[in-house]
Amino acid sequence: MAELLQYLISGLAVGMIYALIALGFVVVWKSSSVANLALGQLVLFSAWFTYGMLVQANFPLWVAFPLVILFSLALGWVIERLALRPLIAQPILSLITITLGVAYFIEGVVTLIWPKSVAALPRFFPTKPIHIGPAVVSQEYVWVAGISLVVFILLTLFFRYHRMGIAMRATADDQLAVQACGIPVTRIFSRSWMFACLVAAIGGILVSSIGGITYGLVETGLKAFSVVILGGLDSFIGAIIAGPIIGLCENLGGGYLTPVIGWAGVKDIIPFIIIIIVMIIKPYGLFGEVRIERI
Amino acid sequence: MTLPSGTRNYTYGQDMAILRTKTQWALMAVFLVFLLTAPLYLSNYLLSVANLIGITLIAATGLNILTGYCGQLSVGHAGFIAVGAYTSAVLTNRLELPFLVGLICAGLMAGLVGLIFGIPSIRVKGFYLAITTIAAQFIIIWVINHWSSVTGGFVGIPVPEASIGGFTFHGEASQFYLIIGIVILVIFFAKNLARTRVGRAFIAIRDNDLAAQVMGINIFYYKLLAFFIGCFLAGIAGSLMAHWIGFMNAEHFSLTESILYIGMVIIGGLGTTLGPIFGVVFIRLLQQVLTVVVVPSLESTFTALPSGFATGVAPMLFGLIIVLFLILEPRGLAHRWSLFKSAYRLWPFSY
Repeated sequence: MAELLQYLISGLAVGMIYALIALGFVVVWKSSSVANLALGQLVLFSAWFTYGMLVQANFPLWVAFPLVILFSLALGWVIERLALRPLIAQPILSLITITLGVAYFIEGVVTLIWPKSVAALPRFFPTKPIHIGPAVVSQEYVWVAGISLVVFILLTLFFRYHRMGIAMRATADDQLAVQACGIPVTRIFSRSWMFACLVAAIGGILVSSIGGITYGLVETGLKAFSVVILGGLDSFIGAIIAGPIIGLCENLGGGYLTPVIGWAGVKDIIPFIIIIIVMIIKPYGLFGEVRIERI
Repeated sequence: MTLPSGTRNYTYGQDMAILRTKTQWALMAVFLVFLLTAPLYLSNYLLSVANLIGITLIAATGLNILTGYCGQLSVGHAGFIAVGAYTSAVLTNRLELPFLVGLICAGLMAGLVGLIFGIPSIRVKGFYLAITTIAAQFIIIWVINHWSSVTGGFVGIPVPEASIGGFTFHGEASQFYLIIGIVILVIFFAKNLARTRVGRAFIAIRDNDLAAQVMGINIFYYKLLAFFIGCFLAGIAGSLMAHWIGFMNAEHFSLTESILYIGMVIIGGLGTTLGPIFGVVFIRLLQQVLTVVVVPSLESTFTALPSGFATGVAPMLFGLIIVLFLILEPRGLAHRWSLFKSAYRLWPFSY
């Protein structure tokens, strides 16, 4: 019982982070229909940058975090401006592969600047374990889940009520009509990328504050794809519902299947198996719009 | 201008032929002679680079059939190569079967795994397929790493040298002949596949799969066939790689390697037989020049370079090259080559 509760809470927390990272993907997909496969590398890059600011440059938190946010926004702007802008209206194959190229490049940059493969961020959250019923849960998970939820809600409100958010949703709906209304579509694309990088950075910091910075962060970013796929590519609601589902599956499955199968690390593969299953059964996800194609 | 002026077709056979003029025949003969006598004047190191290029070329040709001709993006090609490599390694090492059995089984096994992960392609495409194949890559590598009773797990598995009958392919030169023989077969196959009914069906599916279906092309069959052929070739490449290196572990088959394969096909030019050849030679040579010549000399000149320079600069450069090619020359080196050829034929006129 105590075990179960523990899995549930850590699963929900991790799932919330996945949902957050997935949101970054959904925004880019919705506004410019570019599939951002560099998500994992963005998470990795911003986590290392945070490490550089906090540990290597030894800035206090209130200096380091604004810097990280500025950095991630700049990163998003640069990627959109230099790599994606020239490819507007190109076939989807080029759009996917160019993000793979960007991913490869970022990975090189990260190895170049931070050659060591493992590092730990300082602990931001109180580590004192808390007791919920019979379970003992690290307080960090609760904090992480809470922060992700707050960020998620803020972003949803932004998309619902802010001018920029509304413009982004409009762009997703019909690019031509939006341009006719005087909204600069290229600026929307650029904003959506900045936004995706920001969300990836927050996700990266939250994940690595618990698990440390490893190459596994790329995998964390890729696991966020299972959230996107399960929830539906163009749905915010889908992301927030699918995120915890993936997190729970991962933790419960990892907890209870490992003794059965006998192979350690079942946890890492569950999101990918979910991707395959969803693809075969319901490829457009739980809340995704089913695209009807015409010739 | 695909042919020099004055080349006339009198029969359908002439029209179909790959090599048309006497010059082409002569150039091809010179090239083949050069290729087959290469071990005489290439050093052992250069031969090993040539072997690596050959193995990569087989896999890249497979990916080109799948992605370039049929339009099904696969970001898990290294995973499929791993399936072939491990099938061959397990069969020849643990079960002590002959190399040829291992080679064929490696291809079939990789093709089969490719079929399984290709099933979603019937309903989805583009990004969905990219994600499916990424998932395939992770699942395959995970299984290899954890099924240690068969695959050797994280430690790896030794692979005996390739041998046919009583003859063992020992050393780079004899491996070179084995690999180059298979490369020639594969390229001949790929070149002709593109001109058959199957190849035309692939191209129709790539250009618009819905329209292809309406015209009566069985999408289910042809998409899975593309996956099978693409992954079969990946498996063959994997088997050759296993026997060439002599020791396998999953580190050879990372996701970045998969991305590099896509990069090679794109740099060369999607949907041409020549493309993968250009792309593979370009990337693999660049890789060698970087790691053997450029980086050590830079490191000895500038001592202040960060310690991650050697490992970081290659992925940076490759990522940059992929991005630049997609932006500046999305049709790849093969297109440049054909532009150059037609310009040469029309010279001094520009049209």
